[in-house]
Amino acid sequence: MPNTFIRKFLTNKVLWLYVLSGGFVLCTALLGLLISSVTVPIPTIFTIIITNTVNSFLDHTVNLFITNTLHLGLLEDVPRNEEMIIWNIRFPRVLLAFCVGASLALAGAAFQGLLRNPLADPYTIGVSSGAALGAVIVIFFGITFPVLGSFTLPTVAIISGFVTLFIVFGLVRLSSRSLAIETIILAGIIISAFIGSIISLIISLGDRESMTQIIYWLYGSVAMRGWGHVQIIIPFMVFGSLMLLVHYRELNALALGEEAADHIGVNVKRSKIYILMGASLLTGAAVAVSGSIGFVGLVIPHLVRIVTGPNHRHVLPLSILVGGSFLILADLVARMIIAPKELPIGIITALIGAPVFAALLIRERIGRGKKNAKD
Amino acid sequence: MLKIRNLVGGYTNTPIINGVDFEISKGEFFVLLGPNGSGKSTIFKLITGQLPCQKGEISINDKSLSSFSKLEKAKKVAVLSQEVQISFDYTVEEIISLGRFPHQKGLFKTLSVEDKEVIEEVMEITKVKQYRDTQFRMISGGEKQRVLLAKVLAQQPEVLLLDEPTNHLDIKHTFQMLDLLKEWQQTKGLTIFAILHDLNVAALYADRIALLHKGSFLDVGDVDTLRKESQLETVYEVKVNAQSHPTVPKPQLLMTPNHSKTKSELLNFDTSFSITKNDQFIHVQFESPLRTISNGVIGEGIQWLKHFCNFHVEKHYNGSNPKQDLQKWMEKYEIPFEQSVAMMTAVRLEDVVIVTKQIEDIKVIAVVTAGTGNAVDITNSSLSQSHEKVGTINSMVFIDAHFTDGALVNGFMSATEAKVKALHDLNVKDPETNTMATSTSTDALLLAVTQQGKETQYAGSGTVVGKVIGQTVYEATHKAVQKYFHRLQK
Repeated sequence: MPNTFIRKFLTNKVLWLYVLSGGFVLCTALLGLLISSVTVPIPTIFTIIITNTVNSFLDHTVNLFITNTLHLGLLEDVPRNEEMIIWNIRFPRVLLAFCVGASLALAGAAFQGLLRNPLADPYTIGVSSGAALGAVIVIFFGITFPVLGSFTLPTVAIISGFVTLFIVFGLVRLSSRSLAIETIILAGIIISAFIGSIISLIISLGDRESMTQIIYWLYGSVAMRGWGHVQIIIPFMVFGSLMLLVHYRELNALALGEEAADHIGVNVKRSKIYILMGASLLTGAAVAVSGSIGFVGLVIPHLVRIVTGPNHRHVLPLSILVGGSFLILADLVARMIIAPKELPIGIITALIGAPVFAALLIRERIGRGKKNAKD
Repeated sequence: MLKIRNLVGGYTNTPIINGVDFEISKGEFFVLLGPNGSGKSTIFKLITGQLPCQKGEISINDKSLSSFSKLEKAKKVAVLSQEVQISFDYTVEEIISLGRFPHQKGLFKTLSVEDKEVIEEVMEITKVKQYRDTQFRMISGGEKQRVLLAKVLAQQPEVLLLDEPTNHLDIKHTFQMLDLLKEWQQTKGLTIFAILHDLNVAALYADRIALLHKGSFLDVGDVDTLRKESQLETVYEVKVNAQSHPTVPKPQLLMTPNHSKTKSELLNFDTSFSITKNDQFIHVQFESPLRTISNGVIGEGIQWLKHFCNFHVEKHYNGSNPKQDLQKWMEKYEIPFEQSVAMMTAVRLEDVVIVTKQIEDIKVIAVVTAGTGNAVDITNSSLSQSHEKVGTINSMVFIDAHFTDGALVNGFMSATEAKVKALHDLNVKDPETNTMATSTSTDALLLAVTQQGKETQYAGSGTVVGKVIGQTVYEATHKAVQKYFHRLQK
């Protein structure tokens, strides 16, 4: 029964991939917490994080019980400044990087699956630009809607991203009947360029200080955000991820084309709307808290697919894990490379992502070439 | 099972399909035929729901299709169309398991044990198991279509809708796929509605066909509906001849291209052939093929042939496989047996008689070898078959005329009648019964016609051409039998 053996091996392989990705997340997170100008020993980091986490949810006595059973030091023994650095600066930063990376990678995977287009990602199809425009407007004019409060920024970013998506699709519909790969990318780039010029216009109308602020924001960064931004992104991320994860079968079915998906019982119209909304939610929230960070949504799902195959049942969750840890790592590089100064994280992702993506494209072509030679 | 009532619909407000009615019963293979633009695909899309019906109703088991949810519909109806493009590198098994989509239950909608069993079964039947972990885009077109068929069967539908599923396939894969479908139809009672392009393939597999012309049905019926040639000519605007399949009782259609109707110049009958004669064989070779009817060992039936041979065999030749022997000899003399009629005789070939006759503008040549050692009175003979003496009458008759198939048979009769008369006039007797013989036991005859000039339907005794055939054959047979007598006397 060599067949069943192979099958067992395959399922085990997938299991190991999850373990490996999970481990990768933990390692990068630990590195992110550890490496900086002030070195805090690892046990202390654990003490700070566990105690603070438990503190925010549970009673103080339970807390003491846990720290004792885990043989961790007491928070009271930790210097106050170290606790501040880990709990209020580094930990939210690592969490935020994870959330942004996970959201962008998941959104990218969903866009690619839905549009049956390996080049689709929040950037190439213009959603990020749209969200950025919304965010710039909110930041520049200091708008706050009374009902939404601190959620004004992500809400506006999500909505403007979604609107941009519809404009891009409208443009594609008008120019060609089918949702051809090239047309979508082209339309996305056209709209992005247009939005870019609007942002430039806004910037040039402002004073010098806000100009630097916005430009720096546009490059993308997770630095100096704190817990506030983590709280902003998490509800959108959870909701958007759920919306996409429950549609993994529909994403697989859509690989057959919309007609054939309809024939096997997929409610194509409804699924499409849910998936587009979910992906826009993730993109908009990520852009709102971190600015424009490119290539994560493009490269990460590609890498995941190479290892797991295209089945969205695994591509989606693994994209979350790998995307999140990738951005933690990118953030680490961004603040290490010219320390004590920091680079915008978008520069790092582009510097890593672009060559990787180019390599993937070439690899794909070579694969195709082999296939043709076989024929 | 599948009922369509007064279906109206199309892409725009002016409907392409205007009131189509039909009903397909359970377990039936129904094929929709019609040229491009007749509305086949429109009907198909109206049934699958890709196009909205403007009027009319489609129902399955008397339940309107529009009342089904997408999932309920997918459990009943599956669709297989021309090759689809599948994005990303899904494996064959992943593609097939998509067919279980409408059946998956539970919170996480994973594949159940039952789902997996169905998938194994359909992979077995469609013979794609060995590709299960191969990427879909790496397999060939024929295999891809088999995988998509497996996906459709995994859906366990009651009705299968096929839109030219064999369009890109070669003959091998076309027949493989349709045989599979036919088997599934017969064993599982699957109802099939298919659009097929190839009339002959449709004739072999369909239970019933519908002929679509300009958005409405011209005719609906069993495959013998395809024998209505004029109807097909109206629809397809090509000259069509209906024939019977040689081994299956189904019609097959032969199309006549327009270019063949205008023959550049007429063949000169007198110079269009050459004759080779020696002790071994007589070989008449024409420049272009003639319409031929014969009962020769090789080249039997009605065909288009160029080479006509009569081979000499030993007196006591008793080959168990004369056809094979003839092929061997013809190969030796480089005569292509696929384009030939070949006969055998033990008569000396130097005694051959060639008679040419022309009456009005009808020219006939008869080439006859005769021996009457086996003369038989067909009306009065015992049923024994032990004839081993020399003697058979082999006649080749070449006619410069244009015969229908009926006229060929007519001419065959005329030639036979003339031969019988010749035997009669020479007083040839059946040695066993001592009555007048009508033939020898193994006579062979061929009629080859140039198909030039005006087409004629009759070549019997009531026609000029029939009489010319009769007189020529009579004269040639008469002379040939006389030569045989002379040789006996020596």
